[in-house]
Amino acid sequence: MGTKALEVWNRKLHYYLGLYFLFFLWLFSLTGLMLNHQQWFRDLYERRQTSYDTPIEGPAGDTQISRTRDAMRQLNLQGEIDWPAAQPVGHIDFNVSRPNGSAQVRVDVNAKKAYVREFENGHLHAFQIFHTFSGSRFNQPASQRDWVMTSIWVFAMDALAAGLIVMVLGSYYMWWRLKKGKALGVLILSAGIAGCAVFLVGIL
Amino acid sequence: MLYRWLRDLHLYFGLFISPFILLFAASVFYLNHGKLSPGGERPADTYRDLTIPDGFDRVKGREAVDRAEAILPQVDVAGGRGFLRYVPEYHHLIFPVSRAGSEATVDVDLDARTATVKRRSMNLWESLSYLHKIPGPHNVAIRGNWIGTQAWRVLADATIYLALFVSLSGIYLWWAIKAERWTGLTLLAAGATTLFGLIFAILHGN
Repeated sequence: MGTKALEVWNRKLHYYLGLYFLFFLWLFSLTGLMLNHQQWFRDLYERRQTSYDTPIEGPAGDTQISRTRDAMRQLNLQGEIDWPAAQPVGHIDFNVSRPNGSAQVRVDVNAKKAYVREFENGHLHAFQIFHTFSGSRFNQPASQRDWVMTSIWVFAMDALAAGLIVMVLGSYYMWWRLKKGKALGVLILSAGIAGCAVFLVGIL
Repeated sequence: MLYRWLRDLHLYFGLFISPFILLFAASVFYLNHGKLSPGGERPADTYRDLTIPDGFDRVKGREAVDRAEAILPQVDVAGGRGFLRYVPEYHHLIFPVSRAGSEATVDVDLDARTATVKRRSMNLWESLSYLHKIPGPHNVAIRGNWIGTQAWRVLADATIYLALFVSLSGIYLWWAIKAERWTGLTLLAAGATTLFGLIFAILHGN
């Protein structure tokens, strides 16, 4: 591929990726602002709570995850599962969450009863949660994704990140091929790199 | 005229935020898939004869966090304080201090005027992820208690505002290329369908 063709395709890739990921970028930009400026939002974390108990068949399965999933199926719950550190004897306790709400479930296996507290998040809170909805925390080694929709969402986040990296690297090439503006570009890029570096190397 | 202005601003604003975009994008992979490996802890250091501000048994919140700042240079620690816990039974003050690259837990014995400091180093991925997440939504009343966090907040906000500008100016620049309008509109619609379809499935799917 000649230099001219590379330039044309690099430019096309830049705006094709930008257009495909435009709404993803806006979502993560706006939710990023929300996360850093909680003082702008009043009552963001207010949520509606409902509690009930209901009969349940002893959840079937050989493993904690299969028994939990069976309990969720009976209770018509979907989402990312999270277990408390310790399980009381004769209980299957878990939390299940997705951006618009969560549920705390306590299943008494012997009494064949489930005690459920459901929380419904407000729209803005649900919107904000999409920024961090990965089902995994790097500082909690035991946490892992167990809902297929979370995995798909994480794939979308990864794709956006990869797309942005490709766009940035492609933009360096486009800028470098310009006949004018190199000195100013070097100055501005250097300022950006320095702005990152002082934090990364621990000066600030 | 407008086209040329927007093209130049798109280029130069984009160049300025590009290292920040790379940082935020690269750290996504660690935040989504990485796991903290044990290690990086160093033996605890003890510091004596500290000059300790009074009133930790009375003050709370931001005021207490601000008072704790006087202790930091005496124990060779710098960074943002995450929270502050006063233990009245033992007259101890415990608080974490963090910055990209390192975090420390400072345990001050207010009566003995000594402090034990446990330090841990972060690897590069952790540092990137740390910067991705600060200042973040937690402890609104006390966060931004270090100049480094305040400066990073300004830069992180600037990155978002400039990214929004770059994306909007990018739409204008794309629309000016008449031959690419239909392909672009198709990709825009495909992206929107993917995003809103995913959101709908996550919120309402079974």
